Amino acid sequence: MQITVNGRSADIPDERSRDPLLWVLRETLGLTGTKFGCGQGLCGACTVHLDGAAVRSCQISTGDAAGRSIITIEGLAGETLHPVQQAWIAESVPQCGYCQAGQIMSAVALLRETPKPDDAAIDAAMAGNLCRCGTYQRIRKAIHRAAGEAQP
Amino acid sequence: MSAMSRRTLFAHAARFAAGITVFAAAPACAFNPLPALPTRSMPSGEARIAWLRLLPDGRVQLLLPRQEMGQGISIALRQIVAEELDIELDRVEAVLPDTASIAPVKSTVGSDSMKDFTEPVARAAALLREHLQSGSTATELHDKGQPVTLRSLRGGGRHVGQGHPTERIADIVTGASTLYAGDVRLPGILFGLVLPAGVEPRELAAGLRLVDLADGRRGLLSDHPGPLHAVTLDRPTADRTMPEMNIDAAMARGRLEHRLRNDTVSTDTAWTLDRRYAIPFAAHAAMEPRSAVAQWHDGGTRLEVWTGTQDAFFVRETLARQFGLSAEKVLVHSCRIGGGFGARTIVRQELEAALLAQAAGRPVKVQWSRAAEFVDGFHRPPSSHRIRARLDAQGRITDWWHGFCSGHVIFTSAAMPRWMQAVTSFVKDPGVARGALPPYAANRMRVEFSDLRLPVDTGPWRGLGAGPNGFAIESAIDELAQLAGRDPLQFRLANLDPQHGRLRACLEAVRDLSGWNTPVPAGTGRGIACGIYKESSYAAVVAEVRVAEDGNAKVTHLWCAQDSGLVVNPDQLRAQIEGNLLWGLGMVLIEKLPIEGGRVAAYTFADYPIPTMDAMPAIDIALIEPTGAAPSGAGETAMVAVAAITNAIAAATGRRVLTLPYQATSSA
Repeated sequence: MQITVNGRSADIPDERSRDPLLWVLRETLGLTGTKFGCGQGLCGACTVHLDGAAVRSCQISTGDAAGRSIITIEGLAGETLHPVQQAWIAESVPQCGYCQAGQIMSAVALLRETPKPDDAAIDAAMAGNLCRCGTYQRIRKAIHRAAGEAQP
Repeated sequence: MSAMSRRTLFAHAARFAAGITVFAAAPACAFNPLPALPTRSMPSGEARIAWLRLLPDGRVQLLLPRQEMGQGISIALRQIVAEELDIELDRVEAVLPDTASIAPVKSTVGSDSMKDFTEPVARAAALLREHLQSGSTATELHDKGQPVTLRSLRGGGRHVGQGHPTERIADIVTGASTLYAGDVRLPGILFGLVLPAGVEPRELAAGLRLVDLADGRRGLLSDHPGPLHAVTLDRPTADRTMPEMNIDAAMARGRLEHRLRNDTVSTDTAWTLDRRYAIPFAAHAAMEPRSAVAQWHDGGTRLEVWTGTQDAFFVRETLARQFGLSAEKVLVHSCRIGGGFGARTIVRQELEAALLAQAAGRPVKVQWSRAAEFVDGFHRPPSSHRIRARLDAQGRITDWWHGFCSGHVIFTSAAMPRWMQAVTSFVKDPGVARGALPPYAANRMRVEFSDLRLPVDTGPWRGLGAGPNGFAIESAIDELAQLAGRDPLQFRLANLDPQHGRLRACLEAVRDLSGWNTPVPAGTGRGIACGIYKESSYAAVVAEVRVAEDGNAKVTHLWCAQDSGLVVNPDQLRAQIEGNLLWGLGMVLIEKLPIEGGRVAAYTFADYPIPTMDAMPAIDIALIEPTGAAPSGAGETAMVAVAAITNAIAAATGRRVLTLPYQATSSA
């Protein structure tokens, strides 16, 4: 079985096809930026992009992801950091940092759909990404910043 | 003394081919704050609790005496070192400690890190600076308490007082590095879980292997985590007796056994206020479920462990005892913690990984499930409070009687054998007591409590007793102000114990910050609360809450004025306050760990919701920094937000919130 992660094709043993994509990313491919938070699609820590859409990689089987474009946090930056990653640093968003890869992947998907989201749109799109440290206010500011908007 | 430029530091450093190492001394009171746990000798004077290493290329390495869980201690201590040496911040590198690199040092708990560790680290850096300026050729320095000039603790420097993001932020936003224990990968690693006693997997799926462990338990191993996380465990369901947490029942059994203030309060005349408050179980719910990696070496005689823990030395000692090894045969690597909040103070996943790796003969990674976090973790205990108070005609508190009962916080069953639990029942649990003495003056004050052993493991949770006690105290104070016909802020100022001038300053600052004296928006209530954390950190919070006709409450704005002494990194201090405010909001609006039949009945975030982004109100923070004040803790002070929010709900609805969490239909 082959899956395409961050533009590269990878051979995955067939017996992994029923395993959640999350574990194949982390332990078979060593892409540990995508985090395990709950295994039930309720926290968003494992968010990746599947054909451009934000999905919970703990809820997608590896077999179902085959043949589609998978982008993880490691694949976001090009020559420079992605504008959302830059905004996360500029707004000093992370505390413990554990949820932030998932937050960033959701924010990138939001901005692709809605380039200038207001606070309500941000709250709606990001409500499935939990943060226990309390960085939500900074996440909002970082998304506005990445959208090129004046700071509210 | 002239400032030392980076160029001159580099020139100095180049003289030392092997670099220079400075050993920092332990802070004055370096005891284990979990007295229930095995004590460790804490040598003072020459204790190598941190190393500062000047490398020949002029870079400086700081081996941290603290764990990083997002509270920002790594960057703050780097700023201290850079300030003392007057060098660029990026020339100072912070390294999380392993147990072979530094001497045993106390747990990273209790908002102690800034209070207790800035000075030893500053001294080490200052010793290095003075050493270089002296022209001495020694390559090893020890802090023996010799006089040294500190530049970093007077505030307003080149680095101290500047905001910087958390350590490793670039790695956090790119996901590119090994940061957390679960990110550690080793050749030939297996994945495992330890079955709770008496629990069998429903079926043994392909790829899973059942193994016997040295402590009598059994475990599952797999060469990939996928099959392991698909295992369904039928956990025990037999009912256990949960003692009722009821202050009236506790008082009916006789006087509460632990006294914090023991004045005689008259029971002959009527009380101005007599209220009961109830607080439920709550979970830490950190985003990172516990994880650890263990690897045995040299034929099973040496153990290496990677974990995110608030106390790597406690992990080392526990594992050494368990496997009959000397401490130096156990090496514990500290990883960044994906949220601590008090949860990473005992040893569970590390022992499980070591047992499984022993049985497997290969390295093993343990990754707890979210269900395990809830069911096998430990939690903030419930508590029940009764506050009685009397005012004189001038609105001053004459009598204050606060009795409460709670499950244990420090003497936790999660980390103690049964015999020790019995012994500690005769001792005040300092975690339960935290924050129970109000900052107000009263002619007579009686504060007493009782603790109850519960069948569900309990332990430290952000702020320990300060969250629940602050809620009870500040709710009562607010209602007393109302009964006296006084403005709640004025009432607090009038009744504050005069020694707490720093709390007074916070109240005055939050009054101005929030526009306390301006009209409250329609449909909205405004509330205030304040408190002191561990006699050294001060906060006052104002909340605005909009309550809909159906009683549904939405926190719209929070203001906080906080004095945690010298501010080393205002950005990280604000981040800690933001977290506290959101925890306060969660405590009021949603958090209650479900218990059924004396057992935790939460398995997912659907069973234990935590605040989401749409719950986050606007936040404004003012930092107060009295001249000459030492840095103190920040991670738990602003938990007083709980009562600011409930007092705002009371202002909006006319009904007091006496039971947490708030329910639209259950107010007084």
